[in-house]
Amino acid sequence: MTSIDVKDLTKEHGTVRAVDHLTFSVRPGRVTGFLGPNGAGKSTTMRLVLGLDRPTHGTATIGGRAYTTLDEPLRKVGALLDAQAAHGSRTARDHLRALAVGNRIPDRRVDEVLDETGLASVARRRVKTYSLGMRQRLGIAAALLGDPEVVMLDEPSNGLDPEGIVWIRELLRRLAQEGRTVLVSSHLMNETASFADHLVVLGRGRLLADTPMREFIDARVRPRVRVRTPDGAALRRLLTAHGYEAAAHGDGPDGPDGHWTVEHARVDDIGRLTSAAGLTVLELSADEGTLEQAYLDLTATATEFTTASAPVPAPAPQSQQPQEA
Amino acid sequence: MSFAPVLHAELIKIRTLRSLLGALCAVVLATGLFSALAGLDSGAGEEDFDPLFSVFFGVSFGQIAAVAFGATAVSSEFQGGGLRVTLAAVPRRGRWFAAKTVAVALPVLAVGTVAGGVSLAVGKAVLGADATGLTWAEGLRGVVGCALYLTLMALLAAGLTALLRSGVATLSILIPFLLIVSFVVGGVSGTIADFFPDKAGQVVFHRTWDGSLGPWTGLAVTGLWVAGALLAGVWSVRRRDA
Repeated sequence: MTSIDVKDLTKEHGTVRAVDHLTFSVRPGRVTGFLGPNGAGKSTTMRLVLGLDRPTHGTATIGGRAYTTLDEPLRKVGALLDAQAAHGSRTARDHLRALAVGNRIPDRRVDEVLDETGLASVARRRVKTYSLGMRQRLGIAAALLGDPEVVMLDEPSNGLDPEGIVWIRELLRRLAQEGRTVLVSSHLMNETASFADHLVVLGRGRLLADTPMREFIDARVRPRVRVRTPDGAALRRLLTAHGYEAAAHGDGPDGPDGHWTVEHARVDDIGRLTSAAGLTVLELSADEGTLEQAYLDLTATATEFTTASAPVPAPAPQSQQPQEA
Repeated sequence: MSFAPVLHAELIKIRTLRSLLGALCAVVLATGLFSALAGLDSGAGEEDFDPLFSVFFGVSFGQIAAVAFGATAVSSEFQGGGLRVTLAAVPRRGRWFAAKTVAVALPVLAVGTVAGGVSLAVGKAVLGADATGLTWAEGLRGVVGCALYLTLMALLAAGLTALLRSGVATLSILIPFLLIVSFVVGGVSGTIADFFPDKAGQVVFHRTWDGSLGPWTGLAVTGLWVAGALLAGVWSVRRRDA
C-alpha cells in the first residue's frame, strides 16, 4: 500500500508562502480530487512531492520514502505536471523511449501506453505538430509508463475533447479500482465530481478540507426535494404538520404550475409522507447538492479566499489587485 | 539506479533531435572546409608560416558548431518544463548531469576525430609542397588535439548553459568571446589571453610555441576552465528548484 504523505509542508518563494503548513495523506484505492483556485498551491505541492522543488519546511513522502531516494522512480510514481514538457522536435515515441530506458522499463511498455492513450497512430510524428489534447495524452502516457502504484496528474483534462474527458474519467476510476493511489488536481468542479471519491481542498496554500466527496457536499449543501402536485394547499398543510417548509416555485404563463420546493428534505421521506397521506403527486425529484455549490459555499466562508470582490485598499482604489503567486 | 541506463537515455535524447545531429555534421563540415580554404591562402613562405596551424585552421570555425551543440543539448532540457520530466525520471541530479556531460562529450569526441582527420587530409592536399615539413607526429597531435579541443569547447558550453539555464545566453557570451577575443585580443601572445580557454587549447595546433603553455598543458588549462563551468552547472542543477 503506497500513500502520499504530506506533513507540515511549507514552501516560500521569497516572501510569498505558496504552500503553508500543509498536512494530508492520499490513500490508495480511490481517486483523490485536489481542488483549489489558481495559485492555491496545488502544482507547487505536486512538485514538492516529486522532489523537484525543495520545501522550506516539512516533508512529503511516497510510501514513507522521499521521492528523490526512490530507485527507478517511474516504476513507482507516474506524474503529469505540464503538457508542454515534451520537446517539440522529438517524436512522442522517442520522448517515451528516453524516459523508459533511463528507468529500465521495457520498450514494449512504450507501445502499450501509446495504444492506451490513443496515440499509437501519431507516435512517430513530432510533438510540435500535436494539439493540446494530444500533448495531454502524451503526458498521461508518460505517467503510466512504469505501471506505477501512485499516479499524480495536474489538470489532466485540460484541452481534451469531450471524448477525451470521458476517457480520462474512466481511466482514473480504473486506476483507483486497481488499488493505485490517484491524485488529480483540477479547478473544474463538475469534472472533479465525476471521478473523485475523496477531496483535498487548498486555498492560499492552506488545507481547507480533506474529506470524502459525498460528506463534503452533504455538509455544505442542504438537500432539497421538488414536488409537483395539483393540490398545493393539501401539500402545504401536510408538510407544515411534519415540520417541513414548502414553497411554491416557478410561475408558468397560467399562474403557479404546481411545482413546490421542500427545503432540508430527502426525497425518500417526502415520498413516503405524501403516499401515506394519499396525496396525488405528479413529479417527485431530489435536488442533490453539487460539488460546485459546496465548493462555493466553502470559499465564501473561508477567510483564506479573498477574491476580486474583496475591498480594494483605500489609498489606491484604481490599482490592480496583486496577483497570487 | 545505475549510471548506464541514465547515460543511454541521454544518448537517445541527443540522437533524436535533428538540430543536434545537424550541429555534429556542421562540426566536420566547418572544420574541414575552413582548413581547406586556409590552405589556399596560407601565406606559405612567410617567416612565421606554420603548416600545422594552416591545416587545422578550420577548428576555429568548427568550434562554433561544437559550442552550439553543447549549448543546445543542455538547453533543450529547459524548454517548457522539460527539466521537470527529466528530473522526475532521474531524481539524483548529480548523476543525471554526469550522464548528460558524457552524452555530450562522446559524440563530439567522435566527430572531432573525424574533423581532425578530414582537416589533416584536405589541408595537406591543398598545401601540397608547402606541407612537406609537417611530420606524422605533428599531424597526429593535431588530430587528437582537434578531437579533445572540440569536446572541451562543447562541454564548456554545456556547463555554462546549465548554469545560465539558457542556450541563447550561453551562445551570446561564448560566440562573441571566441570570435572577437580570439581574433583581436588574442593575437598578441605573452598576455593573460594565453590562458583563455580557446587560446590555451589551440596551442596544440602550432608546431612551435613561445608562451608558457605547450600543446598538452594548454589543453589542460582549457580542461580546467571546462571543469569550472561543469561544476558551476551541476551546482546550479542541484541547488535550484526545477
